[in-house]
Amino acid sequence: MGNRPIKFRILELFMDGKEYWNYEIVSKIQEEYNMNSAYGRDSINFDIIELASGGMLKDIEQKVDEAGIYKKDFLLHKYVITDFGKVRGSDACMRYA
Amino acid sequence: MDLKALKKQESKRKISKGYMWALFCAVFWGIWYLPGTVVWVLNPFDEMYGAIAATNGDGVSLVITAVLITAFNALTVMIALMLWNGVLGKYGELVRTLKEFHPCSKWFFLASIFGGPMAILGSFIAMGFIGGAFAAVAGLLYPVIGSILAYYWYGEKISKRAAIGIAVIVLGGVSIYGGGLLTELSSGNVPWIGYLGGLMAAAGWGIEGAIAGKGLDIAEPDAGLTLRFLGENIIWWIIIVPILAIVGFPMYSYALQAFEPLTLLVLIFAGITFGFCYVTWYKSFPLIGVGRGQGIGNLYGFCAVIFIFLFFGDVPDWTILVGGTLCILGSFVMFTEETSALETLRGE
Repeated sequence: MGNRPIKFRILELFMDGKEYWNYEIVSKIQEEYNMNSAYGRDSINFDIIELASGGMLKDIEQKVDEAGIYKKDFLLHKYVITDFGKVRGSDACMRYA
Repeated sequence: MDLKALKKQESKRKISKGYMWALFCAVFWGIWYLPGTVVWVLNPFDEMYGAIAATNGDGVSLVITAVLITAFNALTVMIALMLWNGVLGKYGELVRTLKEFHPCSKWFFLASIFGGPMAILGSFIAMGFIGGAFAAVAGLLYPVIGSILAYYWYGEKISKRAAIGIAVIVLGGVSIYGGGLLTELSSGNVPWIGYLGGLMAAAGWGIEGAIAGKGLDIAEPDAGLTLRFLGENIIWWIIIVPILAIVGFPMYSYALQAFEPLTLLVLIFAGITFGFCYVTWYKSFPLIGVGRGQGIGNLYGFCAVIFIFLFFGDVPDWTILVGGTLCILGSFVMFTEETSALETLRGE
């Protein structure tokens, strides 16, 4: 069970600088925090949207979810961390580093 | 459906939801001035004001009574937010965020110092001494303080457009304060403490916004806001109210008398409206951007004047109406400029 605030953990996952699809992050957090309901999924996705609107993640690519990996016929988003996100992320997440 | 149509649909859904949250914020914030004004004439606060005024004078009595009202406001907001977090299933996240004192929750506690004893107390003082419409409109000056602070603090540049917005808001402020002041100066009876309360509201909210943002961008707002009010409750109920009681003011005897149905109802009404205006404000930011969210949120000034007219039949002075209009206009000029926060939204 995750023990850090969810947004900290999301930033931490992005700190490696790689690009991730929202469903990859969402399902990882769902598993770590035991939030397997549809409501849990949407609330984690909203956290990602908030981080992007705060300028910490950048939405770089979209595709249609035709196969229903996340939510059928909705948009999937691919994100990467920004420089500002790295600064905020290392303030928040690297306490144990 | 193809990618383009879907993108359009998603952005439309985001924007309409965002505007809805921001409008809810304006309505809740505006309504808050109703219980905030009414509570002054209800017991025990009415009696408390009279009793302390008889021994310590009007000014002291007003501030002490405002402290107790603000403390109860913080308590009912906290109850409303705890219920809200319960419904959302966020108690776990609340505890996780609280534990991160160093990177995160310290900002909420610092913000609560300026939000509570400065902004909300100042608002109640302005409501008690001058009136709800003045208190609401005076608070509209907060973006000026916020952006000046950001300029000196994080070296954030003030663009030409923001400068124009600030100038318009300041003009509005001159109208709000100057109009009443001129007539009162000629009659020789100026409610200085009320004006000071209005300034406290604007300065407090400006500073609170600048500080709370540092914690809120890496926390969930539902949890973060609850911690901000936890901080305010600690300030009032563990620090200030006991100190005032030790100094000799009858805080506890009046606090206990607040548990009568009508007073409690009005206080709960204040807690719900104030709690949800904060929650809906933050919900709007990721959807339409901080700028537009704040611009629309500032329509609370209009909402407050309209609600006060509908419920109390008070029409504020024309100087307050003109000043309020200028402030809202200025905040739209200031906030709707292009910022990086909006980029993600506009790109879609």
